[in-house]
This record gives sequence, structure tokens and C-alpha cells, in this order.
Amino acid sequence: MDRIVICRCEEVDLEEIEQTLINYQCSMREIKLRTRAGMGYCGGRTCRPALNAILEKVSGEKQPHQIPLKVQPPVRPVSLGRIGETNYE
Amino acid sequence: MYDVLIIGAGPAGLSAAIAAREWNLNVLVIDEFLKPGGRLLGQLHQEPDGKWWNGIEESKILLEKAKELNTDIRCGISAHTIEKTDHGFSVYTNEGILEAENLLIATGAAESPAPIPGWTLPGVMSIGAAQVMTNVHRVRVGKKGIVVGVNVLSVAIAREMQLAGIDLECMALPAINSATESHGSPKKVMKALLRIAHLAPSTAIRFGSRFMKGDGTKALAVKFFPKSGVKMWGMPIHLRKAVTRINGTNQVESVTICDITADGEIIPGSERNIEVDFVCIAGGLYPLAELAAVIGCPFQYIEELGGHVPVHNEQMETPLEGLFVAGNITGIESAKVARAQGTLAGLSIAKRKGQNLAKLENQIQQAKMNVRTIRENATIQFHPGIEKGRSRMEEAYYDIVHG
Ligand SMILES: Cc1cc2nc3c(=O)[nH]c(=O)nc-3n(C[C@H](O)[C@H](O)[C@H](O)COP(=O)(O)OP(=O)(O)OC[C@H]3O[C@@H](n4cnc5c(N)ncnc54)[C@H](O)[C@@H]3O)c2cc1C
Repeated sequence: MDRIVICRCEEVDLEEIEQTLINYQCSMREIKLRTRAGMGYCGGRTCRPALNAILEKVSGEKQPHQIPLKVQPPVRPVSLGRIGETNYE
Repeated sequence: MYDVLIIGAGPAGLSAAIAAREWNLNVLVIDEFLKPGGRLLGQLHQEPDGKWWNGIEESKILLEKAKELNTDIRCGISAHTIEKTDHGFSVYTNEGILEAENLLIATGAAESPAPIPGWTLPGVMSIGAAQVMTNVHRVRVGKKGIVVGVNVLSVAIAREMQLAGIDLECMALPAINSATESHGSPKKVMKALLRIAHLAPSTAIRFGSRFMKGDGTKALAVKFFPKSGVKMWGMPIHLRKAVTRINGTNQVESVTICDITADGEIIPGSERNIEVDFVCIAGGLYPLAELAAVIGCPFQYIEELGGHVPVHNEQMETPLEGLFVAGNITGIESAKVARAQGTLAGLSIAKRKGQNLAKLENQIQQAKMNVRTIRENATIQFHPGIEKGRSRMEEAYYDIVHG
């Protein structure tokens, strides 16, 4: 089958995400930690909706009210100099 | 320290700024794009009554009004984090930290991808990107293209591209995989189109109404959907064909397209290649609510509103004191609704400053009515069941705040 990239930043494909979901019956956070999907430069902005759709399809459950993959600051790429101003925990 | 900082200068943010300035609040509007106006800047469509909706003109009207009221609007500023402080909020941007007593997040909507093989090649873009290139930057997206994904937004933008003289081969669905399912099933797509066809821009009306004969005919409609598609000013819209692959070495050279069953399964042996140099992918819109998530606002997942939405009440207040939301971040609707919600949010914020409350309360009630009326009469609707979604949100707010 043709490869379908889902997370473009970390180049994680659909098959790997589906397999991980099936093998580990896991949460979106665990998918991220296992595959790095959603962990790249864009902070998951591009692949988050696709990841949620895959989770919904594979698990057969509607999405929870809590956002499946926690949004982490900064939500835009920022220079390290600017980060110095903020007190991220 | 501003009375209110507004993130996003789209129709919601600008109208909120105008309402707040009319009550003499100290307002700052920031937007990360190079011009104010938000998504209005790309919009151009004909309404069922024949009138044109020209977003650029609409944004000019709002900007002039804001200018008359000496509103401070700064572009090229991107908010990347927000924090609650003792007196309000700190907003961290690429231009430093901004402080405000109240915060309005009016960041609009973003597009979902519909990933298919080859979608990472140069020359593939989202349908919204094609709209911005065509109508905002006036850059030709390519010589000949195809639109993958059929929904209200992609039909409207395809028409805009036609008007700009861009050659589109056709519109078709994305091949089904677990990430594209809702966009790749002809039955689901037909259902979504039919439920909104009577409100959609005239182009889509023509498209849907041929099959609009009550609920039972949906499956039939898909079954008998003409193999050659339905034509929109000469360009076929296919619901029984799917793009299975985008091909090319260094950039888009062609797409592979197949016939599909009413459930979206590929019919073997039907594949052929079409030469194109650009591809527009349309996977729908979702509320861009990342900043509300970062600050810990509770969320609800409501499909009718387009996905995860920060909890808020009809006055556009969230459960976090001083935090407001307006526009598409609260659910995907047309620009007119966003504009009306912005006015309401601006007034609600003014109320927190507590001057001339009787008059203000009166204006708030009117603004609320206005949002409802505009919603009821909306000529463009992205998700069926928006009212149902709205009342579920009201309940959620009540449960969280008073529950
Ligand atoms: C591609 C696309 C096409 C659309 N076409 C139509 C159409 O034809 N007709 C129609 O009625 N509706 C259309 N819509 C729906 C559209 O969202 C609404 O019409 C309306 O523009 C929403 O208004 P808003 O003020 O909520 O958000 P927007 O108009 O989207 O404005 C939000 C603004 O916030 C800014 N922003 C976002 N995040 C940040 C940040 N972190 N820091 C600083 N600034 C930020 C953005 O740059 C943007 O200018 C379209 C939406 C999209 C995404």
C-alpha cells in the first residue's frame, strides 16, 4: 500500500499510528510518546485533527470533551530569545 | 495595562473592538497576519438572492469604523502563550509581553487535512491556502489543478478560482482511510451537502436540489449520481470518484483517480491518471482554540460546532473570569454570525467595567437577539444542526459554572 504521512514534521505514517493504537490500545498521549506524531516543529497544529480522526475510527469511540492531545505552549514557533522572557513550567 | 486585549482581527475581533471602543474602553487588537480582516479577506460568493458577499469590502467597512474610534490594531503579532495574572492576563507574543484586564480570543478556524498518498508533495495545498493566494495575494496557484474534498467551503472556493480564471479539472473525494473517512464516503458527503443545500451559495443549491426529494432518496441519490459528475459552470463535481494518489518526483505532476461505490470502496480497474500541477485538499474546518486550551479553559466536543470548543455562554463569557471568546473559535459559522458575536462580546466586556449598566444591558439583549436572527437566516452553513450544538454548549456552561 502507498505510504500516507500523517505527522509531517516527524514523518510518522498512518500505518505506524494505526499499528501502535491497535498493539497498545493506548491514549493519544502515548501515541505521541511512542511515535513522536504531533511532537514536531508545528506543535501538532497540522496533524492533530487527523490523529483525532484516526483514534475515533480505530477505537470506535467518539472523541472525549477533553482535547485528546494536550495543547502545549508555545502554540507558535518562537525564538529562544523570546522564550527566555516567559516562565514556562 | 489594557482594558481588553483582542487576539484576532477577523470579523469577530474587529466588531468586538468597535463595540468596546464605543464604550470608551482601552483596547488593543493584535493579529499575526500582515493585514487585518481575517478570513473576510478571501471571501467572494453569490448568495441565493443573487447579491454578492464581498469580504474585502466588508472588512473595509469594519476597519473604517474602528479607525474612526481610534482603535489600536497591530498586525504581524502572534500570540504564543497566555497566562492568568492577579489583575488579568499576560499575553506572550513575538513582540514581547502584553498585559490586559480582559482577554477576547477571536482566532477563528483552521483547516483539517485529508491525508492521502503524496499529499506532502510541493504543489499540494489546502483549499483555504488556494483561496488566500487567489483572492488576497492575487497569485496564480498553478496552471491546472484538482480539488480533493467536496463540501460547502471547497465548492465556494472552487467557484472563486473559476472566476479568477484558474483551470480546474474537477472536484472529487479523497480515497478513504481512517483519517479521511468522513470526507471520502459518497453517502456521508451527499448527506452533508443535502442538509445544507437549501441554504448554500447558489452554485451548491443547483448542485444539491436535483436530488433533494426527502430523506429516503439519499442512498438513491448517491447511486444515481451521474458518473460524469454534476457540472458547476463547466467543471464536474464527482461524488463517485476518489483521488487515491498524488504523483510526482519533486512536485505534483498528476493524480490517480478511481471510480468508487456508494460507500467509497474503490472499483478495481477503474484507475486513470490526470495531469495537474496543483492539488487543493479540503478536509473541513475546526475551531482554532489552542490559546484557550493553554490557559486551562474547559472544553466540549460538539460535532455540530466543528469539534472541540471552549466552554462559553450566550454572552460569550468563558468560566474563566475576564476571558471571552467570539467568532469561529466558538463554532464554525459564516462571517455574518462571527461579526454579530463580536459585537456581543465587546458589549459583555464593557459590562465588566460597570458603567451605565441599564443602557448596556439593553444593548446586550439586542446583540444577543441579533446573533440568533442572523444565525436563523444564514445563507451559508458549514455544519448541519448548529442550533442543537449551540444549546448543548449552553447546557455545558450551566453545568460547569452552576453545576
Ligand atoms: C479557508 C477559509 C475559508 C472560509 N471561507 C468562508 C466563506 O467563503 N464565507 C463565510 O461566510 N465563511 C467562510 N469561512 C469561515 C470563516 O471562518 C468566517 O467567515 C469568519 O471569517 C470567522 O471570523 P473570525 O473573526 O472568527 O475569524 P477569522 O476571520 O479567521 O480571524 C481570525 C484572525 O485571528 C488571527 N490569529 C489566529 N491565531 C492567532 C494568534 N495566535 N496570534 C495572533 N493572531 C492570531 C488570524 O490571523 C486571523 O486574522 C472560511 C474559513 C476559512 C478557514
